[in-house]
Amino acid sequence: MSKTWTLMKIMAKMQLSLAGKSTSEKVGYVLLTLVMLPFGALILSLLNNLISTLYDVLSPTGNENIILGLVFVSVTFLFIFLSISTVLSSFYFAEDVESFISLPFQPYQILMGKSTVPFLSLYGTNAMLLLPVLLFYGLHSEAGAAYYGLAFMIWLLTPVIPFVITAIIVMFIMRFANISKNKDRTKIVVGLLGFAFAIGINVIIRLDSGGNAGEDMAALFMQQNGLLELITKFFPVAYFSSIALTTASTGTAALYFLLVAGLSAGAIVLFMTIGQATYFKGVLGLSGGKRSTFNDKTLDENVKETPLLWSLVLKEVRTIMRTPTFFTQIVVQSLFFPIFLVIILFMESSGSLDQISAMLGSWDGKIVLLALFGLTIVGLGINPASFSSVSRDGKSWFNYLYLPIPARTVIGSKLLIAFALNLVSLLILALVAVFLIGIPVWPLVNWLFLSIIAAWVTSVGGLLIDLYQPKLNWTDEREVFKGRFAGLVVFAIEAVIFGGAIGILWNMSSVEGVWITSLILFTLLIVLTAGCHFGLKKLVDQKYDKIL
Amino acid sequence: MIQLNNVTKNFAGKQAVKGLNLTIPDGKIFGFLGPNGAGKSTTIKMMTGILPIDEGSITLNGMDISKQPMDVKRVIGYVPDRSDIFLRLKGIEYLNFMADVFNIPSDVREEKITYLTKSFGIYDALGDHIQTYSHGMKQKIVVSGVLLHDPDIWILDEPLTGLDPKSSFTLKEMMREHANKGKIVFFSTHVLEVVEQLCDEVAIINNGQVQFQGAMSEMRQQFKEDDNLERLFLELTQNE
Ligand SMILES: Nc1ncnc2c1ncn2[C@@H]1O[C@H](COP(=O)(O)OP(=O)(O)OP(=O)(O)O)[C@@H](O)[C@H]1O
Ligand SMILES: [Mg+2]
Repeated sequence: MSKTWTLMKIMAKMQLSLAGKSTSEKVGYVLLTLVMLPFGALILSLLNNLISTLYDVLSPTGNENIILGLVFVSVTFLFIFLSISTVLSSFYFAEDVESFISLPFQPYQILMGKSTVPFLSLYGTNAMLLLPVLLFYGLHSEAGAAYYGLAFMIWLLTPVIPFVITAIIVMFIMRFANISKNKDRTKIVVGLLGFAFAIGINVIIRLDSGGNAGEDMAALFMQQNGLLELITKFFPVAYFSSIALTTASTGTAALYFLLVAGLSAGAIVLFMTIGQATYFKGVLGLSGGKRSTFNDKTLDENVKETPLLWSLVLKEVRTIMRTPTFFTQIVVQSLFFPIFLVIILFMESSGSLDQISAMLGSWDGKIVLLALFGLTIVGLGINPASFSSVSRDGKSWFNYLYLPIPARTVIGSKLLIAFALNLVSLLILALVAVFLIGIPVWPLVNWLFLSIIAAWVTSVGGLLIDLYQPKLNWTDEREVFKGRFAGLVVFAIEAVIFGGAIGILWNMSSVEGVWITSLILFTLLIVLTAGCHFGLKKLVDQKYDKIL
Repeated sequence: MIQLNNVTKNFAGKQAVKGLNLTIPDGKIFGFLGPNGAGKSTTIKMMTGILPIDEGSITLNGMDISKQPMDVKRVIGYVPDRSDIFLRLKGIEYLNFMADVFNIPSDVREEKITYLTKSFGIYDALGDHIQTYSHGMKQKIVVSGVLLHDPDIWILDEPLTGLDPKSSFTLKEMMREHANKGKIVFFSTHVLEVVEQLCDEVAIINNGQVQFQGAMSEMRQQFKEDDNLERLFLELTQNE
């Protein structure tokens, strides 16, 4: 056990340490936290209002515990979703696996070590979502000390089961995926399968509840816990947790809590057992590639003249698609938000989708546009392709310097990649907006137009920040993303500029209608674009050939 | 012709190259000798535009690398000392990329790729990712990529380390051929036998300064008392 503990501490230290970060970066983190505080407060007060409203509506029929049920189900989903990529990269993609394997550790011990950081990182989300909801619920239900004690313990336990289940599934898939020849491609396919799996569960759940939900709704409302049972059908632990909390300080609560605790402990034991048997089989031989045969025909197919810019774009695409870390961090992460939105909307029964579109229909076009635009900025805001543009090249960056490739061609190819990924996200969002929600046509057209410009600006912005302080001296690709300041800076700047603009326009009654609003946002975007391009040009002139 | 005039390079707290002067004529194989840390790679990086020059100037074929970087880069072919090239590409994709960079027409590139990679014995591996290549194979694919455009000035940083005897022989043949076409072959090395056997002219640097430049024959003459090159080298580069 002490060995396991040592491993966990060492791995956590290696991944989380602030050592090696410059003081400016540390100061930056502090500043960023300060900037984010007001946003946090805003979100908390919104959450509080929401819970209070729901509570008042639901408590007369004794169905208020559905609030808890919903929250538990949502965070479970979120945890599964978040764990897929962190588990994959920590368990399998990180190159340090190999150095641990050669040491005399049991597979389960290495696994516990590798789980530490991905698991602990769930508590960030946990603290931001579940904790306040439990707190507000307690306040509204005027709960006693027993509730808060129980709530805290349940809060601690909640991430366990989603994380463990995800880890077990990932290990199973990797165990069998590892048979194939091309390891890098396998890693990528497995990553995709994980996401397909998460989406698949959603579809099943929706199909299952879609059929009878409508007619029985009224009946369910009448019956205590009826709604809760419906919502948590596939998540028994969420059900147990909700019941334990609504009956706090009774014997029932103790029973259900023990059930939750027992299940969590059981899950961990299961995880260690399965891990002991399968983990190494999935890891061993992960690196390496296949040997192919090469002949004159393949030569013919591969040799063609391409314009330089396009050639560079191709090279970027290949590098991203073939590097598992880049693939999960860039492609999967930037599609995370739109796909997540699709999932959430799919989870809604069709009735509530109609309600959303009815609601949007009744809103002013300006509000629809601003809401959509705000949502888009959140989605596009963190674009890993843009703020890893230069850093991705790592030690091979110097190749651009002795080859006769103009700086603007290299930068251009990188911008195109970041922009293209943003466009794909936009496209998914647009399809959702049109087919699932039915946004009115003019706000939609305006939104799309503005968003395309925003997609470009955010790409330039991310690239600008990365070029300003690139990280080229990495040995493991994850260093390009992990503990880097760039993504957060871009997001914070965008939050301030766009959040501010949207807030002002939203509240300015003198600005009315879609067109005027668009015009103002358009002007803002154009000014930003011009500013960013000016900055980029300056920076390229100053910095491009002096990075090394 | 390559000309280095009073070239100086400082790294944080350390002067790697100090007022270096060199003239390298066309049609010669030029050996650049010096002990570890002498400043060879640093000098080469300044010649190829990778590192900015702190003081002095470097002209290649009459063009200043700081003033006309694109024009210079089009006529040079550089083989770096470490093969941190684009590892995720397949061999053939890398060569095709290099051909795009140097605007090589597709019939020429096919012929050249076949010729070069077959000479080096890496043709069969062209469909694999460079990441899976051995050190020597990486070196050979880089050399092949650089020779696609038949550079006027071919600069190699320790090109022979890690090559097996046969590939080493092939590369030396190619260097000779290249120089015979009237072009410059400039390379750095520690291997004295190679210098003796291959070079028309040499420069020896130590602590960022040129200790000697001239034809091989001159060098021997000037240091008649030294019967072998190794002793000469040690003498020239000893740090007092
Ligand atoms: N990026 C850098 N930062 C700081 N110092 C450097 C850097 N690159 C080189 N140096 C220093 O400059 C000096 C010359 O290094 P250089 O790589 O040019 O030597 P070299 O002659 O190529 O040696 P070797 O034969 O080992 O390749 C060394 O003292 C080295 O420590
Ligand atoms: Mg060197």
